[in-house]
Amino acid sequence: MTQEIIAACNTSIVFGEKKILENITCSISAGEFVGIIGPNGAGKSTLLLALRGFVPLAAGEVLLAGRPITTLSDKELARQVAYMQQEVNVGFGFTALEVVLTGRYPYLKWWQHEQAEDKAIAHRYMEFTGVEALAEKPVHLMSGGEKQRVLLAKVLAQETPLIFLDEPTASLDLVYQEEIFRYCQLISQQGKTVLIVAHDLKLAAKFCSRLLLLAENTMIADGPPEKVITKENLQAAYGLHAAVFMNKVTGNLDIHTYAADDDNPNKDTKVHIICGGGSGEKIIRVLYERGYRLTLGVIQPGDADANAAEAFHLSCLLGQPFSSIDELAAEENRRKISAADWVVLSDLTYGEQNIDNLQAAFTAKNLIVIEDTPIEKRDFLEGKAIELYTKLVKMPQVAVMTFPQFITSLEKNMLPAVHR
Amino acid sequence: MRETMRKKTQGNRDKAWKIMMVLSILLLCIIVFSISWGTIRVPWEDTLAIIGQHVPMINGYFPSVNAEFQAVVWNIRMPRVLVGVLVGAALGVSGAVMQGVFGNPLADPGIIGVSSGASFGAVTAIALGLTSYSIFVMPMFALAGSLAAVSATVFLSMSRGKIPVMTLLLSGVAVSMLMGALTSGILTLMNEYRVREYLFWVVGGLDYRRWEHVYLAVVPILIGLIVLCLLARHLNVLVLGEQEARSVGVPVVALRLLLLFVAAATTAMAVCVSGTIGFVGLIVPHIMRIIVGPEHRWLLPSSALAGALFLVFCDTLGRMIFPPNEIRVGIMTALLGAPYFLYLLRKTQQSGGIS
Repeated sequence: MTQEIIAACNTSIVFGEKKILENITCSISAGEFVGIIGPNGAGKSTLLLALRGFVPLAAGEVLLAGRPITTLSDKELARQVAYMQQEVNVGFGFTALEVVLTGRYPYLKWWQHEQAEDKAIAHRYMEFTGVEALAEKPVHLMSGGEKQRVLLAKVLAQETPLIFLDEPTASLDLVYQEEIFRYCQLISQQGKTVLIVAHDLKLAAKFCSRLLLLAENTMIADGPPEKVITKENLQAAYGLHAAVFMNKVTGNLDIHTYAADDDNPNKDTKVHIICGGGSGEKIIRVLYERGYRLTLGVIQPGDADANAAEAFHLSCLLGQPFSSIDELAAEENRRKISAADWVVLSDLTYGEQNIDNLQAAFTAKNLIVIEDTPIEKRDFLEGKAIELYTKLVKMPQVAVMTFPQFITSLEKNMLPAVHR
Repeated sequence: MRETMRKKTQGNRDKAWKIMMVLSILLLCIIVFSISWGTIRVPWEDTLAIIGQHVPMINGYFPSVNAEFQAVVWNIRMPRVLVGVLVGAALGVSGAVMQGVFGNPLADPGIIGVSSGASFGAVTAIALGLTSYSIFVMPMFALAGSLAAVSATVFLSMSRGKIPVMTLLLSGVAVSMLMGALTSGILTLMNEYRVREYLFWVVGGLDYRRWEHVYLAVVPILIGLIVLCLLARHLNVLVLGEQEARSVGVPVVALRLLLLFVAAATTAMAVCVSGTIGFVGLIVPHIMRIIVGPEHRWLLPSSALAGALFLVFCDTLGRMIFPPNEIRVGIMTALLGAPYFLYLLRKTQQSGGIS
């Protein structure tokens, strides 16, 4: 069990008549890198302010290393928690070094000046954030990225066990956003506790060890990123339709958001997609976004279509790698086909392993065949697939179309009608 | 790399010292010149000798000078210059502090009601006919008036233990207008002789300043200057904004109140011995910020020197243009300061904001 460093107990904050945060309880241990996420106006920044003791609490309390935060003096608090605000206006041409040195304020008696040691500390952290060379440059002449790194160095020069950052990346380019998160990760790995208010869910999920999701003035989720960033939570917090999945290429949590078509009369229609080799991805996506209930089969594990199925959390029939579709899978595939209202056969390339998919398509009640490439180019069975395919498309329950035509038909809600 | 940086920081400090040395030497030169020059011209070596005779320990080493020069230098010109030095230093430092507290290079102590309060105090003293009792009556009324105005401004802008800068500025404007209205109201009821007396006071000047004025102002102004210079490092942090300052543990409200009141009281002391003198508190810190940088530990002392230098320079110039008539120093500072202020405004507009 790691040591709790800061905790909020049933904390509520009220500004005037308006409730900003209600009943927040959380306990954060040393070394955690916590991201506070949530939609605009959810109270993210206010939570950070409250944890720093900057706003009065209407109820509850905040404990810093077990002590109520209200019992600590200004300087004691400043030696425990460093706070970087969203937007700092450094006027009058103060240089980077002068700004970073203000981080040493809590350690100086009021009559003291910064000692050589304080300057050494300031230089060390400026080196860490890569702004050492800019020490004598006025901060107001710097780019957004340089300025934020100077302010980060200032916050680090405060040498506190806790570091709070309120959207430090809000006005930065993508590169600098990542950079700030990476610095924070490094700092937390060195044993400091970092709390960051973040806008970018993907970055927060990538770097933070824990996320707090706020919505409608309360905390709706708290835990590791993969537990917090879920379809359900995003729907609840942002009112957002999203697919959350592990991006196999980047190894990071990825989020695909879309505008859901809630008025689709064919919503909840059961559709089975026969696909593989990446031929089904776009079909899966367009049908998923329109609210159809999808099943897939039979796909080889590790196939691009299998990843797509995983991303959208779809039930997907998987075959054995590098072997023909076995009897069990074949049978299950046919069962799903007969359970579906209609079936889509993608622009598949046929070989020994998946020829059964083509055979299974014959059992569909309503079949849409997507043909973007002529079958002659997709047959690796010396004519066997061509023969079957030609037979299939002549069947009365089959409609053949290109993918763009498919989209048009979908948009016009013509699909079931095509073949009736 | 780090070594060169250190050297550079060291270099900045050396530069600030050098600038302050230069300012001090210039100030001494202008003082000696200002004392020597006039309808009665005193050779500068005689001026130095007379000053030397009044310095304890070394007074035996200076040759004696004729009595007329003695009287002119020591009784007439010396207090005048010293009041100028004190007032200039007070205005320069207070201006720099106000600009820091408000985070705005266009702020000066007048902005929170110091000058209008002082005018109101002065006009009250004149209207009540109290000024003939003692030369201290008007300064005391002026001081009381300006402190009352500043207190009203701060009190009006306080809310929930905070002093938002914008509210402070607006209440300053409101209080100044109120004080101005009251002053005008009293003026309309006064007879012509008294209006003239007020007018003489309100256009700040250093003429007829006596040693009494020096004694009155020297202790409070020096204390004010020392306190403000000691708080310079704290002001550096405060300038970064309230939130920044709080997060490194600065007691923001207490510090801001302390700085406001000390700067206001220092200015008020200056105003009460010299009348209202504009633009010194505005342009001196601004120029010094360009020369020595924004670090208040260098900015405040050098603004004191530069303020003194500027005021004594303006006073001397005012005496030199149409002798034996004088242009009062309040007019001179405005004549030199207003064009610079306008230039500053235009530059600020062009750069798209206050920097």
